[in-house]
Amino acid sequence: MAIDKFTGENSIAFIRSEQLFDFARRNSLWYIAFGIACCAIEGLMSASGPRFDFDRMGVFFRNSPRQADVMIVAGTVNHKMALTVKRLYDQMPEPKWVVAMGACACTGGPFREYPNVVLGVDTIIPVDVYIPGCPPRPESVQYAFIELQKKIARRTEERLAARNR
Amino acid sequence: MTDRCEETLGVGLLCEGQHDPGVPPAGLRRSPSGVDGLTTEHLIINMGPQHPSTHGVLRLIIEVDGEEIVAVEVSVGYLHRGIEKLAEHRRYDAVGTLMDRGDYVSGMMGELAFALAAEQLMDVEVPRKAHWLRSLASELNRLASHLVWYGTFGLDTGAMGQFLYAMREREALLDILEALSGQRMMFNYIRPGGVVADMPLGLTEQIRTFLSTFDTYLDEYHQLLGGNEIFQMRVKGIGTIDRQMALAFGLTGANLRAAGVDFDVRRARPYAAYPELDFEVPLGTTGDAWDRYIVRMGEMRQSARMIAQLIDGMPEGAFTAKVPRIIRPNAGEAYASVESSRGETGIHLFADGTEHPYRMHYRGPSLFAAQALEEILPGHLIADAVMIVGSTDIMLGELDR
Amino acid sequence: MRPAIADIERLLAAFEETTVAEETPGVVARVSLADVGDVLAELKSAGYESLVDFDGMDTGELIELTYRMRSYSFDVELFVKTTVAYGGTIESVWYEYPSALMPERETAELFGIHLAGHPNPKRLLTTDGVAPLLRKDVPIRTVEEVRAR
Ligand code: SF4
Repeated sequence: MAIDKFTGENSIAFIRSEQLFDFARRNSLWYIAFGIACCAIEGLMSASGPRFDFDRMGVFFRNSPRQADVMIVAGTVNHKMALTVKRLYDQMPEPKWVVAMGACACTGGPFREYPNVVLGVDTIIPVDVYIPGCPPRPESVQYAFIELQKKIARRTEERLAARNR
Repeated sequence: MTDRCEETLGVGLLCEGQHDPGVPPAGLRRSPSGVDGLTTEHLIINMGPQHPSTHGVLRLIIEVDGEEIVAVEVSVGYLHRGIEKLAEHRRYDAVGTLMDRGDYVSGMMGELAFALAAEQLMDVEVPRKAHWLRSLASELNRLASHLVWYGTFGLDTGAMGQFLYAMREREALLDILEALSGQRMMFNYIRPGGVVADMPLGLTEQIRTFLSTFDTYLDEYHQLLGGNEIFQMRVKGIGTIDRQMALAFGLTGANLRAAGVDFDVRRARPYAAYPELDFEVPLGTTGDAWDRYIVRMGEMRQSARMIAQLIDGMPEGAFTAKVPRIIRPNAGEAYASVESSRGETGIHLFADGTEHPYRMHYRGPSLFAAQALEEILPGHLIADAVMIVGSTDIMLGELDR
Repeated sequence: MRPAIADIERLLAAFEETTVAEETPGVVARVSLADVGDVLAELKSAGYESLVDFDGMDTGELIELTYRMRSYSFDVELFVKTTVAYGGTIESVWYEYPSALMPERETAELFGIHLAGHPNPKRLLTTDGVAPLLRKDVPIRTVEEVRAR
C-alpha cells in the first residue's frame, strides 16, 4: 500500500496530523449515492460494477450525505431540483468536494436551451472537478477521482508552504 | 458564489410549500386516532428526491400510521428538462439524441418510436435489413435495461451479489451495443429511414459468445434472487395490481402483463422485424410484485431467443433507405408506439413540412406506473413501499421528460 | 386496430358537433369541449377501458387536446380530440379514467389551462411562476443567453 511511502522500512512515520488526515481522506473518498439522470447509470452504477470497480480506489458510495465526502452531481439539475442539491451539499460535513459529471452538470448540456434547466451546477455549489462527456465513460470518472486525489494532495503542500513562509 | 446562487435560485422558481416540510400537501389527511385514551398522530415522511431506492429522483410523500402507509402523494418533476419542447427545435435526425436521454436505460426503443412516427409521414420504404437491425438493437437494449432492473430490484431488498452479476452481463451487452452504434448509452443509432451503420465485422461472433452462456447464467440469476426464500417472502403478495386497476391506470408493458392481460405491442401492433420472429409473451396471474418479477425474467429469456433468431436470419442488403440530408416529412400527424422495456412508448408527432417537428409528445410508460403508486401503496408497510416502487420499474427520465 | 367508423358514429350519435373520420394516426372523433366528459363516459361503457395517452398541441390559436383510448377486450383504438382556448378550463376525466390524473396536470401546467373537478390540481413538473413552456409563444433560451452563463 501507499502507506509505505510514509513509513519506510521501520513502519514508523513522523508526519503532521493534518497530513495524515489528508492521506486518509485522499484514499477513502466516499461519495453520496445521488443520481439525478442518465449520468448516474454510468457514473454510479457501472462504476461500482465489477468491470470498473471503484472500490479498489477507496471510492465507495454512502446513502447519507452526512457520511459522504464527495458529491458526484450526475445529471441535469433543473430549478425544482436545485434547492435539493444545495441542501444536500450543505448537509455534507467538511471537508467536501464536488464532481460535476457530464455536460449537463457542467453547463446544461443538451438541455441548456430549456428555460427550466440550470446552466451548470457551479451556479449553485462550488465544483472541484468537471468531467465533460454525455455521458462520460466510467474511465473518465475514474480519472476525475485521480485528479481529485491530486488536488487534495496539493492542498497539504500548499498548507505546509503557507505555514513555512 | 452566494450572489450567483441567489440569482439561480431566487427567480421565483421555488414553489411555496413544495420544499417546506411544515406544510402537509393537499390530499393528505392528518387524523389523530385514539387507543385507550392515548392519542396518536399520523406521521408524514418524505422519501426522496435523494433516496437510494427511488431509482432516480422520485419523491414520495407518505403518511404513515405506525408502520402502515395511509396515503401517498407522488411528486415528480425533479428531472423535467424539456425533451418535448427541445424536439421542436431539433432536426429530425437529431431528435433521436433527445429520445435517448428520455428513457436513458433503453434508448434504442425511444429512437425507434420516433423513427416510426416520422416514417409514417415520409415517403420512404425502410429496407428489410434495417428492420432486422432495429429489432436486434432493441432486444439487446431490452436485455441491458432489464438487467439494470434486476440488479437494482435486488438492491432494494438488501441483496448485493446479484447486482454485480447483472452489471457484469450488462457490460458485455454494452460492448456489443458500443460496437454496433459507437456509444455505450446514448446511441442515436435508429434514425428515420433506417439505421446509421451496418453490423461491424465480428459482431455476430461476439453476440453468439454472449448468448452461449447467457441462458445458463439467467437460470443462475433466477435461482440467486428468485430462489431465495427471504426474497420470495418479501415480494409475494405485495403491490397487487389487478386487471381492472391496471387498465384504469393505463399501465402497459410488464406491469400490465403481470396482471394477466395479454397485450404486447410487438405482437398486437407489429413493427420492425417482430412479425417474422418467434417469441412468447410471458404472462402473470395475480399482478403482485412477484409476478412482475417473473414476467420480466421471462422477457429476458425471450429477448435472448429473439437475438439468436435475429443474428441467424439477418438479411443482406442496404441498412438504410435513401433519405435526404435534411429530412422534411409531409405535414400531418402521426402516432407510433413501440414496446420498450417499461411498457408502451408512444410518440405523437405533428409535422408542418419544415425540418423541425411542430410538436412531439412523448408518452412515457413510467408516468402511468408512477401515478398508480398513489393507489397501490396505501395499506402496505413502509418497508414494502421500496419493493413495490422497484417492481414497477419506473425510469424518471421518461417520467418527467 | 382501427374500429369501424360507423360504430363510433352510432355510439356518439347523441352528441352534436361530433365528426368521426379516419386520419393518419387512426380513427379520430372530434368533439366539442363541453361534451368531452360525457363522450368519454359513453366510450367507457362501450368497452374502451383504458385511456392510454393524453396530450396537447398548440396550434397557434387554440390548444388541441388528444385522448387516446384503447379497448383491450375488442383490441381497438380511438383518438378523441377537442380544442380549448388559451387560459380555458377543461373538465377532468379522472373519475372515468384515473390514468388521466397526472397527464392532465402536466398538460394544464405546460399549456397554461385550468383544470376543473380534479382532486389535486397542483402543478406537476415545474415550480410556481414558470411560464407555460410548451406554448409556441414561450421561447427557449437563445444562444447568447446560454453563452452569457
Ligand atoms: S450529460 Fe448527457 S448523459 Fe449526463 S445527464 Fe446530461 S444528458 Fe444525461
